[in-house]
Amino acid sequence: MSGKAILIVVIGFTLTLLAVGQKFGSLSNRAVDNYVSYQSETVAHNIAISGANIAANAIYLSPTWDDGYDNIPYQGGYLDVTVDVVDEDLGLREITSRGIYFRDTSEIKLRIAPSNFSEYAYYSNYEKAGPTSSGTIWWTGKDTVWGPFHTQAKLSCAFHPSFRGKTTSHKGSIEYQTNKKTDSPVITGIYLPGKNLEIPTQAVENLEADADDDGYKFDGQDTVYLLFDKDTLRYKYSYKNKYTALYLPSAAPNGLIYAKNMVVRLKGTVKGKYTLGCSSSTSSTGKGTVWLDDDIVYNTNPLKHPESTDLFGIIAENYVWITENTPNKTSINIQASVFSEKWGFGAYNYDKRPVSGNINLLGGIQQNYRQPVGTIDGNTISHGFTKQYRYDSRLAFMSPPFYPGTGGFKIVSWFE
Amino acid sequence: MGFTTLLDIAGSMIIGGTLMMIVMRLSDASTEKTYNYSGELIVQQNLLTLAEMIEFDFRKIGFCNTWNAVVDPRTNQPFVSSQAIYYADGSSMSFYTDLYPYNGSLDSLRYYLGPTSECSSTPNPRDRILYRVENGNAAVASNLGVTDFRMVFYDVNDDTIPPPVVTRGLIKSIEINITVENVAAYDEKYSNAFWKQIRLASRNVSRSKTDN
Repeated sequence: MSGKAILIVVIGFTLTLLAVGQKFGSLSNRAVDNYVSYQSETVAHNIAISGANIAANAIYLSPTWDDGYDNIPYQGGYLDVTVDVVDEDLGLREITSRGIYFRDTSEIKLRIAPSNFSEYAYYSNYEKAGPTSSGTIWWTGKDTVWGPFHTQAKLSCAFHPSFRGKTTSHKGSIEYQTNKKTDSPVITGIYLPGKNLEIPTQAVENLEADADDDGYKFDGQDTVYLLFDKDTLRYKYSYKNKYTALYLPSAAPNGLIYAKNMVVRLKGTVKGKYTLGCSSSTSSTGKGTVWLDDDIVYNTNPLKHPESTDLFGIIAENYVWITENTPNKTSINIQASVFSEKWGFGAYNYDKRPVSGNINLLGGIQQNYRQPVGTIDGNTISHGFTKQYRYDSRLAFMSPPFYPGTGGFKIVSWFE
Repeated sequence: MGFTTLLDIAGSMIIGGTLMMIVMRLSDASTEKTYNYSGELIVQQNLLTLAEMIEFDFRKIGFCNTWNAVVDPRTNQPFVSSQAIYYADGSSMSFYTDLYPYNGSLDSLRYYLGPTSECSSTPNPRDRILYRVENGNAAVASNLGVTDFRMVFYDVNDDTIPPPVVTRGLIKSIEINITVENVAAYDEKYSNAFWKQIRLASRNVSRSKTDN
């Protein structure tokens, strides 16, 4: 009798412990399932990111690449990449990268668009005034650059200049006038040393064919004085002459105004999207130079009206000078993207002209050699201008007509 | 014979009592372990849900599904993705993104941690609610037992940025720390789980439009 009772007790205990054990085992399995699920999702996501980066690199190396990848084994899973052309005319593309890891799939969409130099608030090939120049042109504490910045040289800083945007340099290190503590720049954005972006050498010459086709070309004269009067362009070939008016939408439907082998004297108010090209047929730096005789601004100021569609590009083969004259003695307002293929943008007679206020630039400057705009004595301007360069954010999405391209693509958006 | 019987009865009472105590103790331990294990599983699931939600949203900071310029509502200037985060402190962050259905219009999203007083009805004195607010609408949240939600912000040089951060464009990556506990526990023995994202960098924030 007692044996049966013991047997019943043992069986009872066993059943109870089995039930409890099954419960605990189930809980443990679910906990492990959670961990494995998260890990699997993360690996699939990482594979997709890798695929997107690999495809972006392939397009960087070969801009026409659109082969994609099909079910490539990668990191224990698989990756698929497709490249679709969204807009053939604008060259817009979308890269879709899928990472597959066991039962999890992660997808990333990357949108890219052709890149051009007008996207830069500031670009220089050399941070000096010419091939034989030995002095360093410093970015100083009174200088602020709003927007993307790149130099193919070192970044030379004195007294904490400010760079409010993505900042890159090809030569890598930052050069300090005294030391890092005294001179380090304030960068609100990214600093990426080592990026290589060379300036094109035929950008201005290539404009002539486009100017002949639905643009307007000035030719056969030494100098042309251009006054933008909203959608009218007034021009003359001598200072004493009267202006002749051109209705720009009819005269230059494609937005390109080209001065072949001339000197351009420029000022005015621009309405619409236009680019001014100025070439030189000789090695002399006199021609192919644009002189800013006064403000060159937009009819609708994008700082107050972000929906403004006015956009202007200045593309000079040689210099873009700020003229030393009365209107420019009390600051100058420049609303344009300025490109100088062989030389640079600067203030003429920078080291002798009086202190002239600010260069209030809204747009960008891209140049081969960096030209000075003033001189400093310690931390004080002694001649010329201080720089207040502000990036026109619209240039991230649009560019002046026929502006020189970088040959690559930019990432417009990243969805993951 | 009577004494023997008494001994038998006493012995069986002792043995029976011991068995009863064993069974009751087994039941008690089983109940406690069940609650604790279940609680830990719930904590783990809650933490996983939070991590996935935060990663899903934070990876889209600065994203906008359009090729064209959109206007930043705070500056009335073209929106720049690298400046999507417009306020951040240790336990809250507000930023622009493009929420489902990703229609190319800027949306705002705000994450912030509520006070412990909002969860006074739960036995756990430390739990708080992590709120998610879309476009300034009413906050949506459920009590998942969050006891700690901390973010550390890094600039372009990987230096920490002291909170609060109101200068747009400074933050390039974020460290996220979340601790979750049971909202109720057996014998007040709370389980907790911790998740840390060492560096989360939204690719729309840590690049500018000129990346190529």
